[in-house]
Amino acid sequence: MFDAFIEGLLLVLQWKAFSLMLVGMALGFCVGLLPGIGGAATLALMIPFIFKMSPAEAFAFLLGMHSVAATTGDITSVLFGVPGEAISAATVVDGYPMAKRGEAGRALGAALMSSLLGALIGAFALALAIPIVRPLVLTFGSPELFMLGVIGISCITSLSGSTARGQIKGFVMGLLGLLVATIGQERQSGSLRFDMGLMYLWDGLDFVPVLVGIFAIPEIIDLAVRGTSIAGDRPPEHLSSGVLEGVKDTFRHFWLVFRCSVVGVFVGILPGAGGGVAQWMAYAHAVQSAKDGKDRAGFGKGDVRGVLGPGAANNSKEGGELIPTVAFGVPGSGAMAILLSGFLIMGIMPGPDMLTKHLALTFSMVWTLAIANVITVVLCLAILDQLAKLTYVRGGLIIPFVLLLVFVGSYTANGQIADLMVTLIFGVLSYFMVIFGWPRPPFVLGFVLGKVIETYLFISMTRYGFAWLTHPIVVGLIVLMAIVIAYPYVQQRRQRSREPLHA
Amino acid sequence: MRKGAVVFCGFLMVVSGFAIFTATGWSFKTKLFPLSVAIPLLILSTVQLILMLLGKEETNEGAMDVDFATDVPPEIARRRVVGVFCWIVGFIALVYLLGFPWTAPLFIFLYLRFQSEVSWAGALASAAVTWGCFHLLFQSLVHIQFESGVIQTWLGL
Repeated sequence: MFDAFIEGLLLVLQWKAFSLMLVGMALGFCVGLLPGIGGAATLALMIPFIFKMSPAEAFAFLLGMHSVAATTGDITSVLFGVPGEAISAATVVDGYPMAKRGEAGRALGAALMSSLLGALIGAFALALAIPIVRPLVLTFGSPELFMLGVIGISCITSLSGSTARGQIKGFVMGLLGLLVATIGQERQSGSLRFDMGLMYLWDGLDFVPVLVGIFAIPEIIDLAVRGTSIAGDRPPEHLSSGVLEGVKDTFRHFWLVFRCSVVGVFVGILPGAGGGVAQWMAYAHAVQSAKDGKDRAGFGKGDVRGVLGPGAANNSKEGGELIPTVAFGVPGSGAMAILLSGFLIMGIMPGPDMLTKHLALTFSMVWTLAIANVITVVLCLAILDQLAKLTYVRGGLIIPFVLLLVFVGSYTANGQIADLMVTLIFGVLSYFMVIFGWPRPPFVLGFVLGKVIETYLFISMTRYGFAWLTHPIVVGLIVLMAIVIAYPYVQQRRQRSREPLHA
Repeated sequence: MRKGAVVFCGFLMVVSGFAIFTATGWSFKTKLFPLSVAIPLLILSTVQLILMLLGKEETNEGAMDVDFATDVPPEIARRRVVGVFCWIVGFIALVYLLGFPWTAPLFIFLYLRFQSEVSWAGALASAAVTWGCFHLLFQSLVHIQFESGVIQTWLGL
């Protein structure tokens, strides 16, 4: 085992594999920065180039690119409020307000360092978990996976307001997201739903135009309204010290970063959940770990813990996603499905062989995840000063370029003008959500999880009728959901009962 | 502001009502999920509307989302919002008419020159750089296929 571990490292450090990993990283760096152009799409574009590579070289190239895209996606999210990747959307919620407060360096330092720790924890999990995780994955059927999705939405909706009444808005937004996800062809019967007679809607709404519209358009409007730079008229922070502060924040909240990384690994392991879910689950956990309502009030307004949680989960889920892909040949996401095609091109069959015959290759993936992220974070920290200065450039000079990137990104979803219209419509909707105090994160999580949840509900109902509600794990998860929903109320009551004592 | 919030809540009720009305005609399998989502959505948005009308709704404080700038006078803010919306709609219209490759440099030039009041030379140079980067990155490197604009199609270009 140890020999294979070292052999895996040596495979990555061979000059050709290492050079290809660097090329992949450079591509992933650019792709991560550009809104909308996802790591999965780029993986697909790069697949034809691996035919003449050895397996170790091919995976160093592909994984180096994919893992770095998740890290650098956070940079655009923090600096411009535009998610660089769909999986970086949660970083916008607190990262961009920090940039507006003149703390871009701190937010970036926190995002990058938590990403690095998350990636290392994910790689470590990949190395350790393969023999352990098999029974766990097999225990979770459709009913359990459905309940996990519902808990994910409950977590974030129940934390959307400081009082019980405020939480109604969270639940409404979560439900609206789920409803929007039902647009298009129903997967099981093929019937069309809410298609308005438009062929564009037959496949449902793509994530990218919706997410970009939800997060980017209101921020662009706000920047135009303020008429200043992103950081406003605040004196520039001392960037290197800001970055250092962000790095320190990561270690100050180390256990939060660790827990969110575990959340990322766990969500990554579950087939079909994907990175879009991991970041929001981690964000919800970060909010829930706040001591009381007062401590929680800073979330959404620039709390560094809101950057650390999603940052860590985004990258740890890469290791998590690789576990079912490598061990069982079951891809956890679209990107992993493309990677699986890479395995087949190389003539390698994922499954038990990866733990015996190709163990060194499996460990080379672990090493690639770790080494690629270390190099990227070190490089990013070195150039962060220059990147963060962008937040002090006059808004009027930034807006046209951001708008262009936003719409090119949304256009890449289907290559149709309708993608731009979708971005505009959801941008307007999102603008009114912010104006009238309706939280956007529950909407986004509902939208991202909608199709997955419906599929699991359908399979559960078809296979078990209503009997799935009595499965022991499902009952346990229902109790957990009740606790999740009741937790803010209990916390609020406790706080109220304490207040007169302190007064 | 409060009137707008009520209208927005009413909009959510209309959306959920429409979803329920439309879904009732579908088969059980097709309507199961939309109805299980739209019915609670209608109930909760109605509760929220009643709370708003009774003046018992929660303030925005504590909502887990960003706050917009409040230090700009409302009249100026409204004008700027309308302005930036016009630019966004104009951008989409340009893409429809000319396609992305032509719109990219043209939009950058127009925005920088007439909205941000950058010098002619600066706006032109930025447009040229945008054109170069756009072609290099999106067309040569990433190979994104951009549709031609309506005008090029009319002219047979």
